[in-house]
Amino acid sequence: MSLHHVLPLKTMIGTAVALFVLTILTVAVYYIDFPDPLNTIVALGIATVKAALVCMFFMGLYWDTKFNTLVLLSSLLFFLIMIGIILLDTLFRDAPFQIYG
Amino acid sequence: MANNSGAAEKEAHLAHHFVDSEQQFEASKLGMWVFLVTEILFFGGLFVAYIVYRSWHPDLFEQAAMTLDTTLGAVNTGVLIVSSLTIVLAVRAAQINDQRQQLIMLGSTIALAITFMVVKYFEYASKFEAGMLPAGLYTYEGIEHELAPVFYSIYYMLTGLHGIHVIIGIGLISWLMVNAAKGTYHSGYFTPIEIVALYWHLVDIIWIFLFPLLYLIE
Repeated sequence: MSLHHVLPLKTMIGTAVALFVLTILTVAVYYIDFPDPLNTIVALGIATVKAALVCMFFMGLYWDTKFNTLVLLSSLLFFLIMIGIILLDTLFRDAPFQIYG
Repeated sequence: MANNSGAAEKEAHLAHHFVDSEQQFEASKLGMWVFLVTEILFFGGLFVAYIVYRSWHPDLFEQAAMTLDTTLGAVNTGVLIVSSLTIVLAVRAAQINDQRQQLIMLGSTIALAITFMVVKYFEYASKFEAGMLPAGLYTYEGIEHELAPVFYSIYYMLTGLHGIHVIIGIGLISWLMVNAAKGTYHSGYFTPIEIVALYWHLVDIIWIFLFPLLYLIE
């Protein structure tokens, strides 16, 4: 938000309520048995939606210059590069093929 | 706003190398976002350790997560959400020149942050007592997995680093309160509240991910 944009009270309270609902949903989903990888995907999906809500409304990216959003997304890109390259190693150490002779 | 106000109207908080308050505010905020990027990557390294070990030993993480108290984790999630709301309302109070509300909202944020740490203290204390300590200090016998201490090392590093951030946040918000009491912040200048609020929201976001990843593994 810019210096002269007063944060809308209703939006702030609405965001907090949405975060509460999603937290309850996360815990509720925990007690439902999805087939294996789905559990983690659903839990992380909800967490990502919550984080996006915080970034957009509490941190004001929704009203901000888009450059700040770009800065934030760049951190996610570099995190994905880091975890991606590491998993290419750690997930395939027992692979039945020999890459390095 | 600042377009036709001359040098005589330059406000005390405005550094000489900025065109106006607006530019100074945007510059500070961009700087904070760059800092938050380094924070995300800082925690990112620990999340990588978590992901690698969980992909190697999913059974260990499933068993060990059972030892964590889901209720306390959920309560702390709620506490941090409310604290995010109160600090954003402190920013808003500065924007509408309401000094009393600034102090109330900053004070509530500190109270909630302390609540978070107290809950964390009870969680840690019960873990310590049971011998669920990191690495070589581990003595708990309830988990049949030789790498059980590794889970607790990752757990303490992630939640511990997050806890340190909460404590630093308490310090920063206390500093804001001292300044707010002096009437430093008003609609033309509230950069420190905005910047600390951004930091505080990041601490909230980290916990939003830690809660399902540590407490809710099935």
